[in-house]
Amino acid sequence: MSGGYRQQPGGSGQTTRKDGKRVAGKQSFPPPGSGGSRPHMKPRDLDFIPESVGGKEEQPAGSHIHDRARTGTTVGKEIPLVDSNAKVTGQAWYGDDVRLPNEIIGKILRSPHHYARIKSIDTSRVEALPGVLAVATGEDSPHRFGVLPVTKDEHAMAVEKVRHVGDLVACVAAVDEATALEALNLFDIEWEVLEPVFDPKKGLEDADEPIHWRGKYHLSKTNVQKRVFQEFGDRSLVDKPHAESHGKWSMAGVHHGFTEPHAVVAHWGPNGRLQLYTPQQVPHYTHRALSTVLDVPMHQINVIRTFVGGGFGGKSDPFPHEMCAAILARKAGRPVRITFDREEVYWINRGRHPSHIEVKMTADEEARISGFDIDALIDGGGFASFGHVTSYYNGVLATAPYELGSFHYTGARVWTNKPASGAMRGHGAVNTRCAVEVGLDEMAETMQVDPIDLRLANLLPPHSRTISGFRITSNGMREALEKVREGSNWDEKFRQMPLGKGIGIGCGFFISGSGLPIHWDPNRFPHATVHIQVDMDGGVTVHTGAADIGQGSTTAVAQVVSEVLALPIEMIHVRSHESDTSPVDLGSYSSRVTFMNANAAIRAALEVREQLLNAAWDILGYHPDNLVLNDRRIYYKHDPAIGVSYLKALHKAQEDKGSLIASGAYRSPPMGGVHKGAAAGLAPAYSFSAYVAEVDVDVETGMIRCTDVWAAHDCGKALNPMAVKGQIIGSCHMGLGQVLSEKMVYGRTGHLQNANLLDYKIPSVHEMPHVEPIIIESCDPEGPFGAKEAGEGPLLPILPAVVNAVYDAIGIRLRDLPLTPDVVFKGIEKTLKNSGVDDPLDLPSPRLTHSSLQPTLVARAQEHKLRDKARQRTEDTSPYVNGVLFGFDPTIPLEDQVEGWRTATEPDPEQLAELGLAGRAWLKKEQREMGGEN
Amino acid sequence: MLMPPFVLHNPTTVEEACSIAGSLLEKGEDFDWVAGGTDLLPNYKWHLNPKPHVISLARIEGVNTLSLHEIGCMARLADLTVENGIHPLIVEAASKVASSLVRRNATLGGNLCLDTRCFWYNQGEDWRRSIDWCHKADCGTGADCRVVPNQNTLCVATYQGDIAPTLMVLDAEVHLIGPSGLRTMPLQEFYQLDGMKKNVLEKGEFLLKITISESSAARTGSYQKLRVRDTWDFPEAGVAASWFAGDVTSLKVATTALESIPRCHSDEVATVLETDWDGMNSVKALAASIRKSVKPVNNTSLPPRYRKSMVRVLTKRAVEKMLE
Repeated sequence: MSGGYRQQPGGSGQTTRKDGKRVAGKQSFPPPGSGGSRPHMKPRDLDFIPESVGGKEEQPAGSHIHDRARTGTTVGKEIPLVDSNAKVTGQAWYGDDVRLPNEIIGKILRSPHHYARIKSIDTSRVEALPGVLAVATGEDSPHRFGVLPVTKDEHAMAVEKVRHVGDLVACVAAVDEATALEALNLFDIEWEVLEPVFDPKKGLEDADEPIHWRGKYHLSKTNVQKRVFQEFGDRSLVDKPHAESHGKWSMAGVHHGFTEPHAVVAHWGPNGRLQLYTPQQVPHYTHRALSTVLDVPMHQINVIRTFVGGGFGGKSDPFPHEMCAAILARKAGRPVRITFDREEVYWINRGRHPSHIEVKMTADEEARISGFDIDALIDGGGFASFGHVTSYYNGVLATAPYELGSFHYTGARVWTNKPASGAMRGHGAVNTRCAVEVGLDEMAETMQVDPIDLRLANLLPPHSRTISGFRITSNGMREALEKVREGSNWDEKFRQMPLGKGIGIGCGFFISGSGLPIHWDPNRFPHATVHIQVDMDGGVTVHTGAADIGQGSTTAVAQVVSEVLALPIEMIHVRSHESDTSPVDLGSYSSRVTFMNANAAIRAALEVREQLLNAAWDILGYHPDNLVLNDRRIYYKHDPAIGVSYLKALHKAQEDKGSLIASGAYRSPPMGGVHKGAAAGLAPAYSFSAYVAEVDVDVETGMIRCTDVWAAHDCGKALNPMAVKGQIIGSCHMGLGQVLSEKMVYGRTGHLQNANLLDYKIPSVHEMPHVEPIIIESCDPEGPFGAKEAGEGPLLPILPAVVNAVYDAIGIRLRDLPLTPDVVFKGIEKTLKNSGVDDPLDLPSPRLTHSSLQPTLVARAQEHKLRDKARQRTEDTSPYVNGVLFGFDPTIPLEDQVEGWRTATEPDPEQLAELGLAGRAWLKKEQREMGGEN
Repeated sequence: MLMPPFVLHNPTTVEEACSIAGSLLEKGEDFDWVAGGTDLLPNYKWHLNPKPHVISLARIEGVNTLSLHEIGCMARLADLTVENGIHPLIVEAASKVASSLVRRNATLGGNLCLDTRCFWYNQGEDWRRSIDWCHKADCGTGADCRVVPNQNTLCVATYQGDIAPTLMVLDAEVHLIGPSGLRTMPLQEFYQLDGMKKNVLEKGEFLLKITISESSAARTGSYQKLRVRDTWDFPEAGVAASWFAGDVTSLKVATTALESIPRCHSDEVATVLETDWDGMNSVKALAASIRKSVKPVNNTSLPPRYRKSMVRVLTKRAVEKMLE
């Protein structure tokens, strides 16, 4: 297409060959150019400009504060991730791709014992081996570190004790891998083997030698790392339930299974500064930990995040091998590279906690949920990692999307002599969510109502508050449920299909960015900062510390800058790899990056935009309010012929100061309650999702095949629908793995039996169902252009949807994850025995006849739908807190209107006897209360 | 994972292969045969009993024959998955082996001589050190079996090949060659009950080819495989059945992935055939008796009790499908 407003003088067609093809490396106009081969302005794309500012993009959920910054350039469009070319051409440089001149190879000596004291290490034979250039042991690194400041319990290498098979004992650097491996056999170590603990239930009891010792805060002599008690609401509601569900779950630990094993290269430069190349999700915490461990100020360390070959939470801790590489490189005076085998990846682990979860729930005669009672005992393995947070998340992230009469949670995380558990996609929320959603299905069954209607009639509305005090803003839960019900043809399938075929529902709720940063006072520093620099060439360089781990954060940042400045995305260059050049960012965890970084980027871009518009005002004489910023051109809104090119405006703006530089920051608003642990689970926004899964169960073998998934996720606003769909489908895959086949198997002797990708069974393409991603846009008032997270929340609903579908198929409730065929078969055998049926093919399929409650629920849901719509569009701004459904007044504190309303973070003495498994941790006293260590 | 160093020999004729083997034997040097390498090389990388010499069969001419009656040891499994003259039962089993990528390298000979597997054995060196080794790769420590401690000296690692049971029910014969010449035997006699010895191959001998007689090739059958994922996974249990269509007395059933060796269940079949054939009832009785006869142990992904139960279902399905 030709014609339109030319962006840049001097363009000519001479760079095309006679056959019409472009000459490689030649642009169609000479520099300084601003648009590559597109010399003409593109017309405004009204389909991607919101109707509130005169475009055609519909806004059923209302307008947004960022609408005025929309230019119709990239936001909302399906564009490939900006780093995809590097990846598909093999040019992306991952951890092990880094090759520095003169580098040597580091290897780690790992513990052969589950739990042992190191009495002595003799390294003399190692040092004597020709080719060995450095040896280090725990003595070289006495400083402790850990991802959370409250639980620093790791060392670069074991100091005094090893805590699981595979724990780091020592390391060695040599001229090549073979020499380094040979050297590992030459350490002479004297061990004192200690009694290991594998069963988390045992971890609740006093031990002779607890795995860690927390001094006066240590809980008796147990291995409990963290205990939590939370109780909110009116507990009298649960006493006489109309319906209830009670389930005890056992969920195996799962690992992220990312493609790229950990790899690190450390190099001390000639000026004594450390350069550390590592595939990290959270480079900043590594930066801090390196400073502590190495006794070097942070400004003398440059952490370079390589491309990350998948993280999913598994690359978000500062890792001991990163410290080892730095220590070895310092000793050897040469760059040191350490690359893990898959087995080592499993030993460093940080996967999802193996969990014992018990959920009791009750409903009253109007099918309102009067109580959630959750008890979660989670197996933390050898170190704390993110466990402090996980202990809270297992409870508090179940307080929405439903309105509850009361909520009771006891949780405990214990140390065991296994590889450490940590954060994994859907951190802390996944297992409990599964248990809760299956419980709701069971309650619906007892009340003889449709489980989707039960949910629809009990949802919290937009702009409300959960029972634990979380501030809900946008909320697309209802629409998600409606969409999957329609898409899956639910009403014609549920409880109506033949034996072996089933359909199930599950919902999800997840944080969109942790409201409190881990490492500093949020009132003093922002959560995210983005710098933008625009030089004479017109290209925009964006500096951010956001770690792209494949989720597309670089693309999201590039997109929003491109949108605000109305520049093609090719002109936006995101620099995010080096801590030397990027502003501090907290990293890629808790689904915070798009929400926080894109918000910061918008702010910085708006500042640049203002400077450009002011320059155009100077040139054109029209006030910026009357100017339109479109594809590389600024013009008078009533006459596009009166305008100025982007470059011209830019150069005008640069006249007195050179490059345009702007900085934008994001900080979440103050929110949440004041009770202990109130900060856990706080987020500036929350995502919601609902999935329907359809399964085929082979009743003779117990094999489950998930055939179809309808997956609706409320991401606020899809900045890039292609990326959102990718996240939804990827989440389905990962969640299916956990529910059907993936588990970390600890055998009879406590060893991890399947530390490889053949025996750790990640579903293959053959096991993938057809996934229909459905994007719900609830337009979050604080999200960038209305966006919320889409990376973790979409994982949650697939687990309960599949478990519920299995029940629909064979009428058996299974509560051991994963549902490997042997687990299903055992359930079938048990049912056959109990029901006196011989052949599994004669099992009855569950059927549903609606009770009189069903129409009540449908009517209530209909009423709530109108309520929610008005609240979503801020046509109704009255306060709403959890409890209104039960008849309470949202303007008066609940404590003042309900006798017995509790907000408790410690059990009452009379409750102690009734606490669940994890609750037993509350029977113990801390050392300081026992008169122990001070 | 670093491949341990070894000397690779590349003979181009069967005779040369045998003479290399013979001379290494004379020198007392240990060696392994390698065909496609999909089994041996990963094990080497895990340092599972690596040898200083490896003799490759890949460059030997004429050992990749493919026909209804004869399949050479170097025939790639990928070529066995297309029905150009190969027996359909073999095609069915071959197409269920591992993944399409693995099948392009893997060979018939390698599959039949597959090393037995066990989750105490198929692990890295550090891992095995942490359990103080096991007697299949004891690294000179004389370690005990970790699956069944204090048992006799037999190794209970599981044979997890897919093709052997189908060849058994087709009455295939194996041809073994070595420095001391060629010998031939029914496939059933090839395997030897011990996870370490695995089969009757003597040091220096390798499996040259399998043959199926004219009459046996007329059999039809079915192979049922139990696995968690439809690709990559080794069988957790496998049952093959065949007959001369319409003649129940010719029924043959073999199982794999349940013990250290694949097994042909002629006794169980004979017992069921003693009484009059009663359609599905007889199939069920046969399935139950085969289930009883196998003794899986806990060393693969799925628990032995379940695998044993599944033998009944798989047998039923294999025979049912064949009778269709």
